[in-house]
Amino acid sequence: MTGGRGSYTLIRAGRLIDGFGGPPIERAAILIQDSTILAVGREQDVSAPEGAPVKNLDYSDKTVMPGMVDCHTHHNGFGDGRAGDDLATLPDEILVLKSARNARTSLLTGVTTFRENGPKNVTMLRLRDAIRDGREIGPRMVLCGRPVAIIGGHMDYMGSPATGPVAGRAMVRQLVKEGADYIKITATGGSTRTSFPMLPSFNVDELSAIVDEAHKFGKLTATHCSSTQGIINSLDAGVDMIIHCIFKDADGTDRFREDVAERIGNRGAFVNPTLHVPRSTIWALEHKKADTGLTPAEQAKLDDQSRQFEFRMEDARRLTDMGLKLITGSDSSWGDYMLGNTMYETECLTMAGLSNMKGLQSVTGEAAKALGVDDEVGTLEPGKQADVIAMPGNPDEDLNALWNVTDVMLAGKLIDRGSTAPIAATRQHVPHSHG
Amino acid sequence: MASDGGFKLIKAARVIDGNGGPPIERGAVLIEGDKVKAVGSEENVTAPEGAHVEEHVYENQTVLPGLVDGHVHLIGIGDGRAGDELTTLPDEILTLQAARNARAHLYSGVTTVRDCGAKNQTTLMLRQAIEMGITVGPKLVLAGRPIAIIGGHLNYFGTTATGTVEGRAAVRQLVKEGVDFIKVTATGGSTRTSIASRPSFTMEEIRAIADEAHKFGIHVAAHCTNTEGIRNAVDGGVDTVIHGTHHEPDGSVVYDPELSEQMAKNDIFLNPTIHQARERIWQLEEMAKTRLLTEEEQASVDKYNSKWEEDVAYWARVRADGVTLIAGSDASWMWYKLGGTSFQDEILAHSDIGMTPMEAIVSGTRDSARSSWVEDEVGTLEAGKQADVLVVDGDPSQDVKALRNVVDVFQGGNVVDRSGVI
Repeated sequence: MTGGRGSYTLIRAGRLIDGFGGPPIERAAILIQDSTILAVGREQDVSAPEGAPVKNLDYSDKTVMPGMVDCHTHHNGFGDGRAGDDLATLPDEILVLKSARNARTSLLTGVTTFRENGPKNVTMLRLRDAIRDGREIGPRMVLCGRPVAIIGGHMDYMGSPATGPVAGRAMVRQLVKEGADYIKITATGGSTRTSFPMLPSFNVDELSAIVDEAHKFGKLTATHCSSTQGIINSLDAGVDMIIHCIFKDADGTDRFREDVAERIGNRGAFVNPTLHVPRSTIWALEHKKADTGLTPAEQAKLDDQSRQFEFRMEDARRLTDMGLKLITGSDSSWGDYMLGNTMYETECLTMAGLSNMKGLQSVTGEAAKALGVDDEVGTLEPGKQADVIAMPGNPDEDLNALWNVTDVMLAGKLIDRGSTAPIAATRQHVPHSHG
Repeated sequence: MASDGGFKLIKAARVIDGNGGPPIERGAVLIEGDKVKAVGSEENVTAPEGAHVEEHVYENQTVLPGLVDGHVHLIGIGDGRAGDELTTLPDEILTLQAARNARAHLYSGVTTVRDCGAKNQTTLMLRQAIEMGITVGPKLVLAGRPIAIIGGHLNYFGTTATGTVEGRAAVRQLVKEGVDFIKVTATGGSTRTSIASRPSFTMEEIRAIADEAHKFGIHVAAHCTNTEGIRNAVDGGVDTVIHGTHHEPDGSVVYDPELSEQMAKNDIFLNPTIHQARERIWQLEEMAKTRLLTEEEQASVDKYNSKWEEDVAYWARVRADGVTLIAGSDASWMWYKLGGTSFQDEILAHSDIGMTPMEAIVSGTRDSARSSWVEDEVGTLEAGKQADVLVVDGDPSQDVKALRNVVDVFQGGNVVDRSGVI
């Protein structure tokens, strides 16, 4: 670092959480030059070079931490319960406008980086271009382009089906050419109507080819796994992140497989358990139950989702106990989970056994590692990008402090957040029955 | 944003209703839901006995109708790039740009725009997104794609037609897609493959297009940069002539009073897009404070300024011959960006060519609404109209520049949240 050029910003923080998991630093400071962090430490140890003009930001009554990193998003989505099959019928222009709105809201709540898991066509690549050119605002993006699916498989309607190892490799090359940062694959069916969530989709030779081709370009891979065989296939193929990680046999039986979980641990793969998605549907139905009542079909869905959520939480607790690397990936705006509520997934991870500080790491430092962007973001340390959020209260004691983010800095620039109305409009609330 | 349905009472130092009469001192506007319920002096306008009323008091401000920009290009970027280049951008980018421009223009006080030409379905998609609540923007009066001859001005936006049959087919296709009016380019323009000094469609082709549009109850606006094109458009039955200076093929201006009289007689509006060229001159003059202009830049500034008196005299004659000039910015075409005070600058230009401040305001409210065929809904503050209200500091009926001092914008009875990054 050679000081002297560029503009300095000095943040004074009542409390600083750096994203590494250690105890918060009381009365801390961050020195930033342009977009980059120069120094982090106790207030008395951090200052701008003598005589240099410096912009001071006083958060001495707040907690400061790294901008959140959401490892799993669907910016095309509405989070109003509509199926992906229906979402994909909307024109790309509408989807890109919705994505812009979602990205803006998410940024205003404190998410400064996200990984996008399943947009249609080139919508998110175009949004990134538009943000780069100053037409919109939004967090940093780690994009898949489109998810790779089998014909009829989960999210094949997003535009990238492939059959066979050769077509799989070709698809990876196409996505990389278009600007994909990683490769998302649906290793099992899912909510897509023509797919089979309890069964694997790609064969191992296909998965292996896709993963191998991605790794050749230095790109990470992540697989959607709604059932156990998909997890096993993904591990055989060397996938880097297991999404959902649902332990279900082909006949739908919920059966935790410790041997498979151990393999995930041994491989060092990250797990994105997406716990709040089922809970968000439960909440949506309970809100509806209180407001207008439920049809028998809706009540049955509520009962089923409640059961699923219990199984998922139980499995997540087991994974936590085994020491697997769980990270926050909200999966919003899929199903009933709207972007702008990332914190709920982190909360679920703490309910599954992570300490609050580990939960915060799962949405900052660990999340950045899982996405392979930890050289740039995720922690507050010299050399990293100055993606910083500030809030009253202490999220290490109460995660709910994350709802009260007052300031969002992206690459050293404070975002003009305007009124709180857009955030309030997307905030999803706990039903009364959950107190 | 849906209106909350209750009563709102706006009180202000003065109310300008958009009809051109003197301002109502200590005036008030009563809103019920998304509509204007009553307009008048403060003592005469009250909510029904016992009704809950939300009061907005603007002690020193002026209240007037939300502005109606009679000519915009929402997909434009306004950084000087030609339409030929703009159109090479993907539709997703153009749609995002349109959304940004729509927000910016709404926040600047413009609550209705007539979009005079966009690529493919971009503006129609924007409207759909606004209706879905995804984004906000002014009320949109849309042409969708302009109709052009092969190689003609804006033909790259996606709709060309040759002959009367194809002209009618183009109108039907656009109507099917949901457009509100038809934009036709009756002469060439900045499009590289077009000839700005020559007409494009024949009069018969324009007549077929206009006839077909009128059959569906929608109006036609024609881009015209030369006399023969204007004549074709006027004889063909269009409702608004855009640009409209009487240029001969050699570039000279030869004013034809009979053509103006014909326009006046047939109630054809003229959207002169006066500020479009001046915006660039202002930018260059601003730049000249920090660097030397190039010879080319200086020449364009000098040429513009030397022509100014002539232009003023020209528009005075057009107005004297009875043609109604309506304000439409033409932003974000070329160097002219939507949002900020862009439309106010076009209204100011109307005052600079000889309109009184009140006449200039009317040209950007009531008359631009009439030209856009939306005067039943917007353009004036009258009972039954959409509650689109602009609040500005100062008195624009004295100094039209006061329109730039936007305090609040009401759209459908609700204050627009203009905070945060556009």
